Amino acid sequence: MRVLAVELDEIWKRFPGVVANAGARLAVRPGTVHAVLGENGAGKTTLMNVLAGVYRPDEGSVRLDGAEHNFAKPADAIASGVGMVYQEFRLIPTFTVAENVVLGAAPRVIAKTSVEQQVADLAEEFGLATEPDREIWQLSMGERQRVEILKALWRNARVLILDEPTAVLTPAEATELGRITKAMAADGRSIIFISHKLDEVKAFCDEATVLRGGKTVAESIPVTSLDPNRMAELMVGEATAVSQRRIRTDAVADDPVLSVVEMWVHDVHGRAVVDGVSLSVNRGEIVGVAGVAGNGQRPLADAIAGLTPVKVGDVELNGQIVSSLPPSHRNAAGLAYVPEDRIGVGLAPRMNVVENAMMRTYPDMGGGPLIDRAQAKQHATDLVEQYNVKVGQMTAPMAGLSGGNLQRLLVGRELEGDPTVLIAAQPTRGLDVQGVAAIQEILVAQSAKGTGILLISEDLEELFALSDRILVMHEGSVVGEYDPDVATRAEIGAAMAGATPEGTH
Amino acid sequence: MFGFTLVRREQQIRGGQALAFAVGFVLAMIIGAVLLLVAGHDPVSIYAKMADKSIGSPQAWSTTLTQAVPLGLAGLAVAVAGSMGLWNIGAEGQIIAGAIAGSWVARLGPDLPGPMLITLMLVASVVGGGLLALGPALARAHLGVNEIISTLMLNEVAIRIVRYLVNGPWKDPTATGFPVAPELPEQAELPTLFERANIGVLIAGVVLLAFGFFAARSKWGYELRVAGSSAKTAEYVGISLKAKILTVLVLSGAIAGLAGGIRLGSASRIVEGIAEGWGFAGIIVAALALMRPANVVLVAIAFGAVRVGGVAIKGEGVPASIADIIQALILLGALGAAVFTSYTLTRRGAAS
Repeated sequence: MRVLAVELDEIWKRFPGVVANAGARLAVRPGTVHAVLGENGAGKTTLMNVLAGVYRPDEGSVRLDGAEHNFAKPADAIASGVGMVYQEFRLIPTFTVAENVVLGAAPRVIAKTSVEQQVADLAEEFGLATEPDREIWQLSMGERQRVEILKALWRNARVLILDEPTAVLTPAEATELGRITKAMAADGRSIIFISHKLDEVKAFCDEATVLRGGKTVAESIPVTSLDPNRMAELMVGEATAVSQRRIRTDAVADDPVLSVVEMWVHDVHGRAVVDGVSLSVNRGEIVGVAGVAGNGQRPLADAIAGLTPVKVGDVELNGQIVSSLPPSHRNAAGLAYVPEDRIGVGLAPRMNVVENAMMRTYPDMGGGPLIDRAQAKQHATDLVEQYNVKVGQMTAPMAGLSGGNLQRLLVGRELEGDPTVLIAAQPTRGLDVQGVAAIQEILVAQSAKGTGILLISEDLEELFALSDRILVMHEGSVVGEYDPDVATRAEIGAAMAGATPEGTH
Repeated sequence: MFGFTLVRREQQIRGGQALAFAVGFVLAMIIGAVLLLVAGHDPVSIYAKMADKSIGSPQAWSTTLTQAVPLGLAGLAVAVAGSMGLWNIGAEGQIIAGAIAGSWVARLGPDLPGPMLITLMLVASVVGGGLLALGPALARAHLGVNEIISTLMLNEVAIRIVRYLVNGPWKDPTATGFPVAPELPEQAELPTLFERANIGVLIAGVVLLAFGFFAARSKWGYELRVAGSSAKTAEYVGISLKAKILTVLVLSGAIAGLAGGIRLGSASRIVEGIAEGWGFAGIIVAALALMRPANVVLVAIAFGAVRVGGVAIKGEGVPASIADIIQALILLGALGAAVFTSYTLTRRGAAS
């Protein structure tokens, strides 16, 4: 039997109050693509960071090709042939592809054209389509990811870790990535592929290791033995129902609480990113917005909430035109917003749970200029209890909470006082199975209370399960409207890709 | 180097900052002791002298607290801006502006009764400091101009203006040697509180404590911290960033200006070096206070004591350079040790 390319044995990693890895194991054979599966908080990222030299394990050993390693910093891991492609790319936007690839690992004398040629040769070898002389800011997400992969290959990575690599890719780019990983594996390299998506794992990977609660619960099982129920069972520990179709008890009344009329939004460069969108959400209705990332969903949500100015057109909330009101006034008028960027917009991660919980209500915490601390703490405690947020200390920084708990607190805070309208942008993205279910339940329950919800999501399953109607956005426009009881995923997928609309528009 | 490497801790040690300061302080004392021994002094008696002269008697305390006044106010000025992520590097200039405005009032009304004159002088100094910060504040709020550069450069402007005044229109014709402005009227001098401390200590103390409390507990302070956390979050919550930047930077300048007013009321005349580097020392104070206004008062007193102790041992035959080195070591130790609340030193991996 050949020596294993990667062997992580009994890895323990403890953080204050949390055991992230509790004897996790991973064994990767050379020349294979190995999936690492697990819910958020299962310890995947910690384990990968141990392998990549970002964290030092408290216990356990890291072996590459049979030799034990003890990495003190990422550079040590890179020198030993471990490369990691993070979800957030680490590229310099104004540098060219070639410059980014060789940065920090360049030959002593750099001749621009020869370096570009070398990078081009390397890309050619693995069939990575790229243009070495273009600058990063000009590239699509898929192209940027290929630059990250090239960076690792340039440093002669024998083991390449891809952290949820398809999250930012279009379906076509994802297929291309699958082909590239296979080419790299065929070259004798080992690829570790972190993913949530079963179809990808089955299509791209050879074996899978599943983590749960910091432990390895299934080691190196062939992907052919996985099916959705088995995978969910391994990840969650019990058979959980895949999200149920929401049952609509009564037909939604024609009672619009949010109307967007011929709205145009420009980005900072004056380019139209929302082109004349009209839509409405009725009381108690969930309207889904489908689309590939970057087709105007984010500026649409920001403009409705007041974070981005509306260039032309109107936003009507309960019949009142709010297009020129600041965000706080729209909030006071009954508009709640769960932004896509939870950490950077919806929350203040360095502040504590109490301070984050009172972001909408602090003006009412105490009569005068001072905040009534007892009231603020009680308010946060109530919210945490009501929405089942798992927090350590109420006075500890928010940043310590897991993604699912952050989102529960954010959604709970936004739903205080039963808003008329909720804009929920990618509310379950990146959450684990239980977190997704919890947030979806909250949304459904809130719509039953009469709140009209605009649900922007890239998850078609979610949109089909929750929505009364599904709108599809493509290049800033709404290109179709579909009834989830009638429409097929293929129809909506085609519309998302920009095919001629066939909806009941 | 030496087989060791600095590794970032995954989480800051709780309460580690206070411990770090203590460790840094002790380390600095040990290194200082070695220096003193080499120079032929008994470290124990020198350190005892430092302690005695800075905190050993009411008189020592009065000197220390007097030093702590400009340190604390300048530190507060920097920390207030810092808690929303802004850097006011212009406290030095704002202190000068405060002192100039105070002198100007005293020159206008030399016959006013003391309490009224002092009040007006201090109010003018607050306005003067705030006015010098107004330009950078407006530029930052409306045009996004980096306040670090603009406040820093205005220091030079303020220094040139005070130089012009004491060499030109405000020059005391009777003074010999360094050019100075004439003495202020006698009643403009701040009344003594105890020993060598005047009521400036009381005023600064009230401002520091009240402001520290307000910043930590008020809705205003909360908004400041949200804005400091993320501009986007502040906007989302409905905090007007422009208004906040404007008020915070002007307020920061005003607080530094008050330090200038109190210095003026203690020195009784304006000289070129009226700010004496207090504004820059304020940046160190704010950094040691972790940009939290509530912490400034303690840091300022400790810093003041170190300075007073350092000056005292110069009189004991300790070379001035060694006295300065000891002061610097203590500050460096405290700041440097703070690194270890976020980082840890590890032996480099053998297998790498």
